[in-house]
Amino acid sequence: MNTKEFNKALTVTSPPHLKNPETTHTLMFDVLIALIPASAWGVYTFGFRALVLILLSMAASVAFEAAYQFFMNIPVTVKDGSALVTGLLLALCLPVSVPLWLPVVGDFFAIIVVKQIFGGIGKNIVNPAIAARVFLFLAWPDHLSRFTSPGASLPLFANVPFPDTVASATPLAALKTGDMPADDLFDIVLGNVGGTIGEVSSVMLIIGGIYLLVRKTVRWQIPVSYIGTVALLSFVFPRMEYTFNFVALELFSGGLLLGAIFMATDYVTSPVTRSGRLIYGAGCGIITVVIRFFGNYPEGVSFAIMIMNLLVWYIDMFTRPKRFGGVEKNAGK
Amino acid sequence: MKRYSFKGGVHPPQNKNTAGLPVVDMPLPEKVYIPLSMHIGAPCEPLVKVGDSVFKGQIIGDVKSGLGAPVHATVSGKVEAIKVSTNAAGQNTGYIVIQNDFEERLSPDITPSDKAPEEYTIDDVVSAVRKAGIAGMGGATFPTYAKLQSAYGKIKYLIVNCAECEPYITVNHRLMLEHPERIVNGLMLLMKVFGLSRGYIAVEDNKLDAAEALESAIEDPDLIDVCVMETKYPQGDERQIIYALTGRELTSGHLPFEVKCLVLNAETVAAIYNAVIYGMPLIERYVTVDGDCVAEPKNLNVRLGTPISELIDYCGGLTSEPHKIICGGPMMGIAQWDINAPVIKGTSSVIVFSKNKRKRFSFNPSCIHCGRCVGHCPMHLMPNYLYAFAKDGQLDRCVEFDIMGCVECGSCSYDCPADVPIVQTIRAAKGKINEEQRARKAALNKTFVVPEKEDESKKEGRRVEH
Ligand code: SF4
Ligand code: SF4
Repeated sequence: MNTKEFNKALTVTSPPHLKNPETTHTLMFDVLIALIPASAWGVYTFGFRALVLILLSMAASVAFEAAYQFFMNIPVTVKDGSALVTGLLLALCLPVSVPLWLPVVGDFFAIIVVKQIFGGIGKNIVNPAIAARVFLFLAWPDHLSRFTSPGASLPLFANVPFPDTVASATPLAALKTGDMPADDLFDIVLGNVGGTIGEVSSVMLIIGGIYLLVRKTVRWQIPVSYIGTVALLSFVFPRMEYTFNFVALELFSGGLLLGAIFMATDYVTSPVTRSGRLIYGAGCGIITVVIRFFGNYPEGVSFAIMIMNLLVWYIDMFTRPKRFGGVEKNAGK
Repeated sequence: MKRYSFKGGVHPPQNKNTAGLPVVDMPLPEKVYIPLSMHIGAPCEPLVKVGDSVFKGQIIGDVKSGLGAPVHATVSGKVEAIKVSTNAAGQNTGYIVIQNDFEERLSPDITPSDKAPEEYTIDDVVSAVRKAGIAGMGGATFPTYAKLQSAYGKIKYLIVNCAECEPYITVNHRLMLEHPERIVNGLMLLMKVFGLSRGYIAVEDNKLDAAEALESAIEDPDLIDVCVMETKYPQGDERQIIYALTGRELTSGHLPFEVKCLVLNAETVAAIYNAVIYGMPLIERYVTVDGDCVAEPKNLNVRLGTPISELIDYCGGLTSEPHKIICGGPMMGIAQWDINAPVIKGTSSVIVFSKNKRKRFSFNPSCIHCGRCVGHCPMHLMPNYLYAFAKDGQLDRCVEFDIMGCVECGSCSYDCPADVPIVQTIRAAKGKINEEQRARKAALNKTFVVPEKEDESKKEGRRVEH
């Protein structure tokens, strides 16, 4: 054989020479797939306008990311799908009645301010979609607290905030004022209630969550400890007599499932150790319950996740694994 | 049946395509290229001159003092050249080139031992093993005599490592199926010498047929335990085997005898038996030739020093343009830049990958903090942070995070979705840290040590670092 020719073709790199085919790209698309049921339900419940908001938000985030990277002359990484996930998540935690420009402003905040200025994917400290939601909520509280009843299909362009549509109290808002929500539990679990586009149907969110767990895209620790903590605290400190009903309401209404399954589990802003994830989930749960019970807002998921995001480095350090070696177990076997 | 295992690790596709193929003797090569350094330790000095006629099995190079193992002529013939060239690791090594005369004249020095099996002492074994030039055949190539010597009198567990956790490689599997008695006899011999009443053979559960073959070769099942391990990478790492079988954790930088264990590779054990009983030096070994470019993957019995290009030719050549040639497994093996590189004592496989085997998905890897590397690291480190600190040049933080505990198994890089070159970066940082320490030590020596002692202390330092 002509060895000179062959040697030219050879690449020398340091091992390992194999790579698991999973990439950031495939993981992000798994998340998108897992969000399809909840998004579809949102569109089914809140009409065409919900679909437009979702697509608009996804397109805007990708466009902001691509434009920023293009103008900063850094590699354009929109193909990894993370901007799509951010755009979708942001749309899913907005009510259907928000003006069309609102998600675009939110995407700008999420992609440019929270993600890219910190250095792009993997470098941001808080979850971009959560941060944008909190930002929008503080800037335009009215828009984010007006919920439409299911089935009321809103026109695309009309005078926001749609004075003549039915505004509906969400189950959480009712709980806040100390009432049992008017909707029955079955409707709440299925998603026949007022709320943001993506958070209403617990069934659909759980289906997506199971998909992620089966694919091992998301590990069980964060959702289980988050939801478990909320359940436990609601059980121990019920705000009304019907304890079990109350626990179920706390779990299935509001943004808890969307947050616990899809937002708190964002890799970039959650701990890398297993025990760290349990602590982080529990922390999210505690803060959520405290805000729901004692705060001024009916919902606390976004704030809880954002606060815990800030603590991730400390949790990682606190739960740093003990290095292999030095321990003598089962000695003398 | 109980499955022994450890915490962490990954499951790369096994690709044990050659597991069903019996080992065939490769035709003898025209020329062999014997590197003077095929082991950890000092390189050998040549003991022959150009033009000398050599026997098969004759010692042609040896180390003067310190750690090392002699090298032998693996065919009979004439020394054609002694030259220096660069090996795969980038070091300059001497090679002795021998022109084969195909007469297979065996060195008269090689005589079977006349002792009865129970008469062997540790000194007999150590000197026979040293003379035979045996070095860890799993790929680590640590001189085996030194390992035996340091472990003598200190061990309770004698473990033969047949885990073979690297993808593609099946040489140990074939050895267990075709010649289980070589492993069992070797182990029995060592048990006698070490005064142990029990020995262990560790096999992964993707090779249950081999475990059975071993069991049927064992006459007294009370003496030898065949332990079945979960199939997982890096199960074959010394530390992980020890942990799985005994629950003892061995920190890096320490040797197995410190936790009363001695772990030897399957082929090494067979070679020890050959050396002690028949006086046969290590001149050939089994090699798996596989990879998506190889026309007919095979298991071969190859003389050391045979160029890998001849192995590939014997396996029907290549079906497409090679991208990488790897000696050793795809997880820890070394990519070659020269297709004529010879088979050495640690070459358990030659794997040829085409371009489409390893795609880079991102040229701008950015850790997404997914935590997989942390979950998979068998040494329980935080590879993502080690990478970040190393890339940032924060070597002291790397040390604080136990970078020196990394065994460079590559599990982290294998499973990283963001394609971050974690272990590659760690390896470079470890090199830098070692260098700094050496420099500091040298500076210290210059300041404090009287000149006569300088050599001595340098040697000491070198030994500790290996
Ligand atoms: S950090 Fe080192 S020991 Fe841990 S998985 Fe990576 S290569 Fe293996
Ligand atoms: S596996 Fe890769 S992406 Fe995940 S934490 Fe480790 S370095 Fe980061």
